[in-house]
Amino acid sequence: MESIPFYFLAALAVLAALGVVVMRDPVYSALALAVVLTALAGLYVLLSAPFLAAAQVMIYAGAILILFVFVIMLLSPGREGDAPRGALKWQRPLAVIFGGALVAQLALVLLMTILPTGRGLYTPEYLAQIGSTQAVGAALFTDYLLPFEITSLLLLVAMVGVIVLAKKKS
Amino acid sequence: MTLDPIVITLIEAVVKTIVVIVALLTAFAYLTLVERYVIAKIQSRIGPNRVGAIGGIALLQPIADAIKMIFKEDFWPSQADKIIYTIAPGIAVGTALLAWAVMPLHPSTEIFGYRVDFFIADVNIGVLYLLAIGSLGVYGIVLGGWGSNNKYSMLGALRSTAQMISYEVSLGLALVGVLMISGSLSLVTIVEKQSFIWNVVWQPLGFIIYFIAAVAEVNRLPFDLPEAETELVAGYQTEYSSLKFALFYMAEYINMITVSAIAATMFLGGYQGPFGILPGVHWLVLKIMFFIFVMMWMRGTLPRFRYDQLMRFGWQVLLPLALANIFITALVMLVVGA
Amino acid sequence: MSVTAPVAPPNTPNYNDPQIVAEQIKTKYPDAVESSSAQGIVVQSDQLREVARYLHDELAFDYLNNVTSVDWQDRFEVVYNLTSLERGGAPITLKVNAARENPSVPSLVPVFRGADFQEREVYDLMGIRFEGHPNLRRILLWDGFEGYPLRKDYKEPYYEEEKKPFGSRWDKGHHVIAEDRNPWHDNVQYPSNFDAVAYKPPRDQIQVIDAAQAAAMRLRTDKIVLNFGPQHPSTHGVLRLRVTLEGETVRGVEPIVGYLHRNHDKIGERNTFVGNMPYTDRLDYFTSMANNLAYALTVEKLLGIKPPERAEYIRVIMAELTRWQNHAVALGFIYNDLGAFYTPLIYAMEERELILDLFEATAGSRMMCNYMRFGGVARDVTDDFIAKCKYLVNERLPRRTDELEAYMVGNEIFHSRAKNIGVLPRDLAINYSTAGPVLRASGVKYDIRRAEPYSIYDRFDFEIPTGTTGDLYDRFIVRVAEMRESLKILKQALDQFPAGEIMTGKKNYQVRVPKGEAYGRGENPKGELGFYVVSDGTANPYRYHVRGPSFINLTALNDMCVGYKIADMIVILGSLDIVMGEVDR
Repeated sequence: MESIPFYFLAALAVLAALGVVVMRDPVYSALALAVVLTALAGLYVLLSAPFLAAAQVMIYAGAILILFVFVIMLLSPGREGDAPRGALKWQRPLAVIFGGALVAQLALVLLMTILPTGRGLYTPEYLAQIGSTQAVGAALFTDYLLPFEITSLLLLVAMVGVIVLAKKKS
Repeated sequence: MTLDPIVITLIEAVVKTIVVIVALLTAFAYLTLVERYVIAKIQSRIGPNRVGAIGGIALLQPIADAIKMIFKEDFWPSQADKIIYTIAPGIAVGTALLAWAVMPLHPSTEIFGYRVDFFIADVNIGVLYLLAIGSLGVYGIVLGGWGSNNKYSMLGALRSTAQMISYEVSLGLALVGVLMISGSLSLVTIVEKQSFIWNVVWQPLGFIIYFIAAVAEVNRLPFDLPEAETELVAGYQTEYSSLKFALFYMAEYINMITVSAIAATMFLGGYQGPFGILPGVHWLVLKIMFFIFVMMWMRGTLPRFRYDQLMRFGWQVLLPLALANIFITALVMLVVGA
Repeated sequence: MSVTAPVAPPNTPNYNDPQIVAEQIKTKYPDAVESSSAQGIVVQSDQLREVARYLHDELAFDYLNNVTSVDWQDRFEVVYNLTSLERGGAPITLKVNAARENPSVPSLVPVFRGADFQEREVYDLMGIRFEGHPNLRRILLWDGFEGYPLRKDYKEPYYEEEKKPFGSRWDKGHHVIAEDRNPWHDNVQYPSNFDAVAYKPPRDQIQVIDAAQAAAMRLRTDKIVLNFGPQHPSTHGVLRLRVTLEGETVRGVEPIVGYLHRNHDKIGERNTFVGNMPYTDRLDYFTSMANNLAYALTVEKLLGIKPPERAEYIRVIMAELTRWQNHAVALGFIYNDLGAFYTPLIYAMEERELILDLFEATAGSRMMCNYMRFGGVARDVTDDFIAKCKYLVNERLPRRTDELEAYMVGNEIFHSRAKNIGVLPRDLAINYSTAGPVLRASGVKYDIRRAEPYSIYDRFDFEIPTGTTGDLYDRFIVRVAEMRESLKILKQALDQFPAGEIMTGKKNYQVRVPKGEAYGRGENPKGELGFYVVSDGTANPYRYHVRGPSFINLTALNDMCVGYKIADMIVILGSLDIVMGEVDR
């Protein structure tokens, strides 16, 4: 009974992810991506991480993807989505080769390694006791403080870069 | 015969959802009437007084409006993206309604031996949930604007997206102060903690920032740039007619109710009366109506900001203020040691 | 007055006299003047631009009131009216002759940019080419229109007779509606091999973009062209603006007008003189009383009569009431353009209703008053009118003016939206021939009621409010100040209101206007409303031309909007206070 929502969300996520790749119209692709992200948020809820779920929806689906959609709407004049085939002729064989290599690699690793199972610190019971928000907060600001700060620095650098690039034009 | 507790929970949830949706839709219908009266009063007019009038108040006007709206021709622009054009109003209304899943309406009471909670779900990240759902509301507008294949709709959609994303930041940060005081993200806990003194006493700045950002978030005057009729005809709704237009309209009013309800819950104690007087849903309704009245009042009075002024105000005034508010709150809490 | 006036010699001669001006021109350009009389100076076509520049630079004729043309059957005559804003007084008339075949005269746009739309109008309706005009295309009629309707040999569809009253309407004892006639037999003359389906309008009259140009335009992806209107909620009627946008910033505005065109001039030539009076109501339908006044003044100039005292006072009262209500409504509309939800407009409308009540009680109609007559007014006012008017002027309207000002000018958002937006610098405002509050907001203290006092305005004590920067805010507060000045005039007029006749001579439905021509004008709420009337001594005017202030104020729109945001453009357009009935005529 408890696995029904999981299978539903997982199927939705996979289908929508396929849609992202297959759809001709970039706007539809972006929308499919939004569905993927929302489905993932649902999975987070099932994993007792509602904070992550809300953050996922708010930041990825609500903000970042909207910016994607923005850019797509502004840049793509036609709906056909037919990229000129001649421009990237060598792309197709290369894509097949590298894609195949990735799948083979993954399969090899998964078959050869036994993934460690077991219960870590953050069990559902533990989370229910201290609250998911508190757990995320405590982890971010104690154990993972350095990566957290480095990430924020990285974002700052990216922002400065964007401003420099944007200013250069005018 | 005993029922499986899961089934009982399910039935309870479905019943509550239906009640909330019906109540919201009715509230939307009569809000349009109230708005017409408020604006009429401001403009020294009479307002509607024909359809089913009792004592000069046209009680059946919303129903007449609805019938008129539904039976208008459902117009499809040529070249419009049919699927997106159709689902956009649905997304708008859907996200507007979803927010009500976590809203605490009334203190929990015992009815026929069952303990009934007057909220659909008490999520322990209720505030985040509200913000997340609110941020999804932009999709309805963006897709509506793009799907219509019209320059005015497109420009309106782009504007409203930029506006809503910008003001969402201040909106969320304005709520952080309350979260710090309450120490919880659950709306139920936040309301319960305000049983004696409302949060607005401790968070006046946060309250003002929230209200301004909320007005911008629901695209009401003086921030109604997305549908600035003097420039963009009707913004993202330009090509919509009939039921689809009604859905957008509905989303706008439900969003108004939602942000008012959040303001009431976070700052004015939700269903709590002042100093613990007679808690109940009537307080919540009164507070919501107060906020909605202020929004209508502003609509009847103020001119509109220009778009760049709006963005500058959002990023250069509201955002720093919201950050300062968090900083001051943290400082005070540290000193007082609460 | 602080005017950047060109240096004038001491002991300045009276430049309001065309003869003296003609002598001055002869000293510089000996062969430029063909002839000169009190009616105007006729200039050689090839030296027109030099003469105009000389008048502009040396004699301080810095303002081009009006450009029009007359078809004298054997030749065309282009008529220019020039004024010096500093000296005031009546405009002098400059005329140029053009041949009947392929008429063409040099364009005055390089000297007076206000000639832009007016010359296009002359080209459109009379078919006179203006050499050197930057954008000589049809303006009121559509690009493929055949023929030039103001020429005397032009016969419109449903043509009946040259002049009213039409005998044909009472042909066999009953009158016939022109539209009942079958256009395919009686009236419309098509070329013998004309095929309506295959017809393509001549290429040179249509702006055609060739393929190379189109390709070049497509590359400029940073600009988009947006068609604003003609069915747009904030274009104040059927105006279309072709706006070039870069993001939200306006890079160019081209007003496209003519959707409401009915050839007022031609109708005027068919009508009798008195029959034109109701048509002037339809020009700017907010200010029909003032329109009547300007037209009556023009024809009275030809007739050489003056109305009796009481009629003069009634005229002033009506004109100033009109000004108050026009400005109040204009301010309300500007607020609407700023995005307010009709509230200020409805407050203004509330007061306007009371003023229209007074008009209705006197003239019988609220908007289309048709009230003035040559030598007086149509009906006398009652004591009740005076009492109600006194109540309005002394009590209600001053209070309402203060309230409207406190509400609208005191608003913080208004300040941030209006200050330093849509700036029209002083010299441009003059050069573009803008008029009325638009001109005054740019800092020019020019008001015809003071510069060339007509009626009895010289008896009243009132100020001419001016702005400093010529921005949106100035155009707004100048109107508020003018409302106050109007009330001041009204107060004085009501206090001095005399008894007596309201009409010189007896009432007559047909006046005989002696041969001659006159340019008459009045300070309308929207600006200088001018009428150029030529009479050949018959019952109908030979030529009847209207200088619509809204139309000419639109010429400056492009310069006012470039560089501002699209939202500002709407408000700037609103601050010009145009009425399409007057723009398209």
